[in-house]
Amino acid sequence: MAHTHSQETDAYFVPLRTWAAVRNAILFVAVLGWIGALAGYATDPEHFFWSYLVAFLFSISIAIGAAFFVMVQHLTGSAWSVTVRRLMEALMRTLPAFLVLFAPLPLGLHYLYEWSRAGAAKDPLLKLKIGYLNEQWFTIRGFLVIGLLSLWALVLYAKSRKQDDSGAVRLTLSAERWSAPGVLMLFVGSSIVGFDWIMSLNPRWYSTMFGVIFLAGGAMAFMAVIIVLCLWLRSNGYLVHSVNTEHYHDLGKWLFMLMVFWAYVSFSQYMLIWYANMPEETIWFKNRFTGSWLYVALLLVAGHFIVPLFAMLPRAVKRSRGALAFFAGWLLLMHYTDLYWQVMPVFYKSGFGMSWLSPVCLVATVSTMGLVFWSSFREKPLVPVGDPRLKQCLAFHNA
Amino acid sequence: MADLAIDPRIELNPTLVQGGMTYADVSEKISAITENKPPKQWYYLITISSLMTVMLFGCLGYLVVTGIGVWGNNNPVGWGWDITNFVWWIGIGHAGTLISAVLFLFRQKWRTSINRAAEAMTLFAVACAAIYPLFHTGRPWRAIYWLFPAPNEYLHLWQNFRSPLEWDVFAVSTYGTVSLLFWFTGLIPDLATLRDRATNRVRKVVFGILSLGWRGSASQWRHYELAYLILAGISTPLVLSVHSIVSFDFATSVIPGWHTTIFPPYFVAGAIFSGFAMVVTLMTVARWVYNLQNLITIKHLENMCKVMLATGMIVGFAYGTEFFIAWYSGNAYERFAFLNRAFGPYWWAYWTMLTCNVVSPQLFWFKKFRTTPALMFIIAIFINIGMWFERFVIIATSLHRDFLPASWGYFKPTWVDIGTFAGTIGMFLTLFLLFLRFLPAIAMSEVKGVLHQQIEEGKGNH
Repeated sequence: MAHTHSQETDAYFVPLRTWAAVRNAILFVAVLGWIGALAGYATDPEHFFWSYLVAFLFSISIAIGAAFFVMVQHLTGSAWSVTVRRLMEALMRTLPAFLVLFAPLPLGLHYLYEWSRAGAAKDPLLKLKIGYLNEQWFTIRGFLVIGLLSLWALVLYAKSRKQDDSGAVRLTLSAERWSAPGVLMLFVGSSIVGFDWIMSLNPRWYSTMFGVIFLAGGAMAFMAVIIVLCLWLRSNGYLVHSVNTEHYHDLGKWLFMLMVFWAYVSFSQYMLIWYANMPEETIWFKNRFTGSWLYVALLLVAGHFIVPLFAMLPRAVKRSRGALAFFAGWLLLMHYTDLYWQVMPVFYKSGFGMSWLSPVCLVATVSTMGLVFWSSFREKPLVPVGDPRLKQCLAFHNA
Repeated sequence: MADLAIDPRIELNPTLVQGGMTYADVSEKISAITENKPPKQWYYLITISSLMTVMLFGCLGYLVVTGIGVWGNNNPVGWGWDITNFVWWIGIGHAGTLISAVLFLFRQKWRTSINRAAEAMTLFAVACAAIYPLFHTGRPWRAIYWLFPAPNEYLHLWQNFRSPLEWDVFAVSTYGTVSLLFWFTGLIPDLATLRDRATNRVRKVVFGILSLGWRGSASQWRHYELAYLILAGISTPLVLSVHSIVSFDFATSVIPGWHTTIFPPYFVAGAIFSGFAMVVTLMTVARWVYNLQNLITIKHLENMCKVMLATGMIVGFAYGTEFFIAWYSGNAYERFAFLNRAFGPYWWAYWTMLTCNVVSPQLFWFKKFRTTPALMFIIAIFINIGMWFERFVIIATSLHRDFLPASWGYFKPTWVDIGTFAGTIGMFLTLFLLFLRFLPAIAMSEVKGVLHQQIEEGKGNH
């Protein structure tokens, strides 16, 4: 454990000029993205809302994954992850922005959700659910869940930032206390929004596993984002010593594990529905195997599970920054594909289709998230410098 | 390393070996349990548990000569206590592998004092579990042909590989085999310690054979640690797979209350929940009888309580999700199945389950309950009961209301059901007491590894 000196050699602050340059770049992309998205909304609202829904889900699932992971780190008192925790916290801190990013969705419910259209009240099955699936409740639940998640995100972020200056151990203990009910709230909340935002696109269909799959996919994508962010900062000369091969190895293990967990819950859902073979349940998969959607489904089986399962298993892959960057990027693409495959077959019924608005909306939501994320580092450290476990993290070694 | 020492309240590395114990004290304390005469409580307990085991054999013998009609199983409740007990025992067997494999991969040092006993419990629980499906066949001596694809001209049978019950056979036997290997691999250095300390010929020969020529050389340790890591890697997916496949026994069907997609992870969480409850039940007692407070510290127990709180919440979350989706589905049968669970003839079982599994672990939010062995023992007993009722509720309530009201029924256990269940508890306890008596109940070599680190960090116990 001779690495304790390394902390002196890393710069924890991004110089203001560099910071502003990056901020301006993100801002530029965000402005372009939103101009495109607004143009889409004005000219083709239907495609806009479908594209926007997937982009929104992709972004918020990562932020929810971040909140989940930060709270788990507090609960387990993890030392290995301290040097990457501020990046996680900054991602988590984007949650309040989703109160704004969510706002367009209630305006386009009629385009997206069958239950919000006129005929629903007369449908014998849907009318049974109208007490839950209605515009008011959908909107309230969305804001409520994002609001609660944001509250926890801001509280935990504030504590961590405060510790940068004071180094008070009491803040670590208090973050731990907040995290226990926080994880519970996050589980229930993300499950509810998983049901609301994706599952209710097919309002007759139901699966108890659905919320878990949403959370699992988001957690995996979050881990991929963290790896990409660390490597990006590293390539610019930041966090070179404080996030070393040992930390990348652990991040890689987590990415692998969450990928497998996603596959486990997704397969369980598929297997049980396939085996029982009841038409009201199998229809969900049947619609998603129609035409070219089948190839998307097969791509998910191979690309979201089988290939990374074998390719990421060797230790050397998780300790190689190049390989890790590739798989993190690839799995992010797969996460988007997964959400796209869950949502879009409701719209493109006969086979795969994509509007130009899909990438544009994705750029808009992700760059907005990026702006909030990056604002956390204006003259503020990239690492929780006051954390009592920081020294241990810097000295950490994989067994 | 002393510069890493900081505020003790956040416990970077909690002191897991207390009371100023040295390496020699660790060996002495743990080996002495197997070398000296056991305390009198041990004799009381094993007398009771062996009598219960005899009752088990009596009940099973009676079943074999009479037929499985001696159980309360009926039509429509074709699965009664037998499968309830099977799932309950398999669930209890989950803590061992979780503590040994998953916590090992997560670098949780506190596993070292409890992993050995938890793994032993796993093996004994799997043995108890296996009894039920085996005897449910009625003719266990033929079960080999029904369960395994053994070539035979005798019955002209070939297994139905599409049945989750068949997958169960492979899942459980794989789990049992890997757990045994893992347990034995971990035991080798400790068996060698017992061999080296042996003062009589019998112990020397027996432990000599069992320790497989262990000399403790650097190369042996290197191989051993690698083997342990690989076994941990192999065991980890098994923690998930076994109970997922057990859940498939129910969830692949079309029975309302059984067919629900959240079953696999929900069963796994429940299994870990019940496994930890059983570990806490037994270890709080063993710790007290053998004065192991310095090795199985309050910190160990507190961590187990936190795991129970977390898994208990996951189980509660799954109950809630099931109920909500039953309503949300709009499916009259789903809705009925769940309302009937809570307010039908088995309401008492449902509310017992909910109180024990969801309400009682909430006490673990309070530090007092996480750090007082007597209190956590009581809650752990409640959880053991609750998890048994969970399986009973799932099995009996979903079956007793068949699709046709004319086929509705009710399950009542017979004395053979009760005797068999109590008997397996006796067998489990007997095996566990024998384990405590003859094998090192705490992994000495691993505890010394933790102690070594503690000394390096300046919390030395020289």
